[in-house]
Amino acid sequence: MKKLTKEQIDKALKILRMPEDSKLVTHLNACVHCGLCATSCVYFLTMKEDKYVPARKVELVASLYRRYCTLTGKIIPKLINARELDEKMAEEMIDLLYGACTICGRCVKHCSIGVDIAYVVKVGRQMLAAMDLVPPSLQSIVDAALNTGNNMGITTEEFTDTIQWMEEELIDEMQDENARIPLDEKNKNILYTLNPREPKFFPLSISAMAKIFYAAKESWTLSTSMYDVTNYGYYSGNNEHAAIIAKKLYDEVKKLNANTLVLGECGHGSRSTRWEGPNYLSTEYDFTTLTVVEIINDYIRSGRIKLDKTIINEKVTIHDPCNLVRNGGLLNEIRFAVKSAVADVVEMDPYGNDNFCCGGGGGQLAMSEYNERRLNIGAIKAEQIRKTKATIVVTPCHNCIDQLTQLNHHYKLNIKIKSIAEIVADALVVEN
Amino acid sequence: MLWYHWLTIGAFLVCIIALMAHFIRLIYLGKPKDYSRKSGNVTKAVAYSATVAMIDHKESAYLHIPTYFAGMVYHIGTFVSFLLLLFFFINMILQITLPQWIVWVLIAGLSLSALCGFSLLIKRAVSKPMRSLSNADDFISNLLVSLFQLASVAYLLCSCKELSYYLSATILLLYMPVGKLKHLVYFFAARYHLGFFYGWRNVWPPKKPLQ
Repeated sequence: MKKLTKEQIDKALKILRMPEDSKLVTHLNACVHCGLCATSCVYFLTMKEDKYVPARKVELVASLYRRYCTLTGKIIPKLINARELDEKMAEEMIDLLYGACTICGRCVKHCSIGVDIAYVVKVGRQMLAAMDLVPPSLQSIVDAALNTGNNMGITTEEFTDTIQWMEEELIDEMQDENARIPLDEKNKNILYTLNPREPKFFPLSISAMAKIFYAAKESWTLSTSMYDVTNYGYYSGNNEHAAIIAKKLYDEVKKLNANTLVLGECGHGSRSTRWEGPNYLSTEYDFTTLTVVEIINDYIRSGRIKLDKTIINEKVTIHDPCNLVRNGGLLNEIRFAVKSAVADVVEMDPYGNDNFCCGGGGGQLAMSEYNERRLNIGAIKAEQIRKTKATIVVTPCHNCIDQLTQLNHHYKLNIKIKSIAEIVADALVVEN
Repeated sequence: MLWYHWLTIGAFLVCIIALMAHFIRLIYLGKPKDYSRKSGNVTKAVAYSATVAMIDHKESAYLHIPTYFAGMVYHIGTFVSFLLLLFFFINMILQITLPQWIVWVLIAGLSLSALCGFSLLIKRAVSKPMRSLSNADDFISNLLVSLFQLASVAYLLCSCKELSYYLSATILLLYMPVGKLKHLVYFFAARYHLGFFYGWRNVWPPKKPLQ
C-alpha cells in the first residue's frame, strides 16, 4: 500500500472528530470486549479465526477514536489500545471491514451490551472511502451506477430490448394483446424498480412481476433511465456517491410523477432507498416507498389478485434477507406472501430476525477478491437449507439469489431458487 | 473523618463529574435525525431494548450461560458495592448499625460476585480469542472492580480493613472515567440507540412469526 498522506488521514479522522449525533460516540465507547458476539458471526463460526470476532472489527475503529479523540489515548495510548492510523491499520481495516463483514447485523442483536457493530463497520468503511481506499472491484460497481444509471452498465437499448422481449412473453402467456410492460409513462400509480441483475441475468423475474401487475390491473411503469434499485454507495461507505444515486431515483419519481416508488427484490437496495435514501438527501420523501413484498401483500389482502396454493406441490423454505427482515421489519410480510402462494412451507433453523446471512451481503458479491471467504461462510446457509429438505428456496433479494445460486452449485444442494414475485406468479390465477 | 475518607469522597466527586461530562456530551450531541418514514413504535422498542431484549433469544446469554451468569452476578455485585460505599459515606453522619443478617447476606453476595469477577478475569487471560481481543485496560478494569468487591467483603468482616477498603475504592473511582468502566454511561445510551433503530423500522418489539 502507498503511504497515506496527511490529507487522507485528516479526511478519515474528520468522521470520528465531528460526529453528527450521539450514536457514533456511544457505540465506540460501549464495547467491553466480552467476545460473546463471536458465535453470532458467520465468519467466526465457519473459519474460527480470532480476527473474525465482530468486536475485533469494532475495535479497529474504536482504537482510532481513542487515539485521536480521547485524552487517555493521546497520553497513554498503550493502556487502552489506542492505535495510529497508518498503512498497516488501513490494510487491516480493508481486510476486515470490507472483506470480512456482510453488515448483516446478526451480532448486533446478540451483543451483550447492544453495540451496533454493523453501524461501526459502516463508519469504518466511510473512513476508508474518505481515503480513497474502497476495493476497486466494489468501486467499479459504484462508478457504473454513477456513469450509466445502473450498476451493471446496461445500455438503454439493451434494457429496452429485454423489456420488449418480456412484454411479448407476457402477451403470449396472458393471451391478451393489451398486456404491457410500460416504459417511462408519466402519472402512473407506481414506478417500479429492478435489480439490474434482472434484465441482465434473470429477466423472467421481471415478467413474473409484470404478470402480477397485470392481474392486479395496476397502473405502473418502469423507467428506462433510472430503474436501478441498488445503491452500492451504501456498501462502499462513500455517502456522497450514495446520495447522488439516491437523488437520481428520487428525481425519476418526480419526473414521472408517480405516487408510489416500489422497490424491486433487493435487500440492500430496499434498505438504501427506503431507510437510508432520505437521510443521504436530508429530505423527507413526499411519496410512498414500498417494497415489492408489501405491494404484493396489498393485492392479496384486497383481493386484487388470487392465488391457488395447490399449483406448487413442492416443499418451500424462506431465506430472510438481513436488510429486509432483521434490519427492515418485514418478517411477517414475507411469510404472508409465501404462505399465500404455497401450501408446504418449512422454516429454517434459526429464521427471521435470527436468520444467518447467506454470505452475499455487504457488497461481498461485488468484491471478487473475497470469493473464497464468501463461499466458506455460505456453508452455514447451505446446511440450514439442506436440513429443511425443501426443494425451493424463496427470497426477495437478487443479491441473496445470486449467492444462493452459487451455494447451490458449490454445496450440491439441488434446489431451485425463486424470488417472491416468481413464486407468487407461479400460483397466480388470472381471470381474463 | 479520617484523611482516607476525604480522599475517597474526593475521588467519588471526580468520578461523578467525569462521568457526567460524558453523559452531558451525549445529550448535547443529541439523538439521530432520521428523515425516513417511521414504520414502528420507537418508545415501545426502546422499552423492549432496555428490558426483555437483554435475555430474549439472545445468543450472548443462552449460548454462554456460565459467562452470562457470572457477568450478571458481577454487575449486580458492583452496583451493590457502590451502594454500600454510599451508605458508608452517609453513615458517617447517621451512625446506623446494619442488622447482622444484612451484613452476612452482603458478605455472601459480594463474595460470590468477586469470585465471578476473578473467574471472568482468568477467562480473559486464558482464552486465546479473549486474550487477542483484550488490552491492558480490560485486565485493569476487571481487576480493580473485583478487588473493590473483595475489599468490601473484608471490611464487612473486619473493621480493621477500613484503610485498604477506602484506598481500593479511591483507585477504582479515579480509574473509572479513564478506561472501559465508563460503559456505565454508554451501556444505557447503546440500548437507547438500538431501540431507536429497530423501533423506527418496526423490527422491535419483535412480532410473533406468522404460522
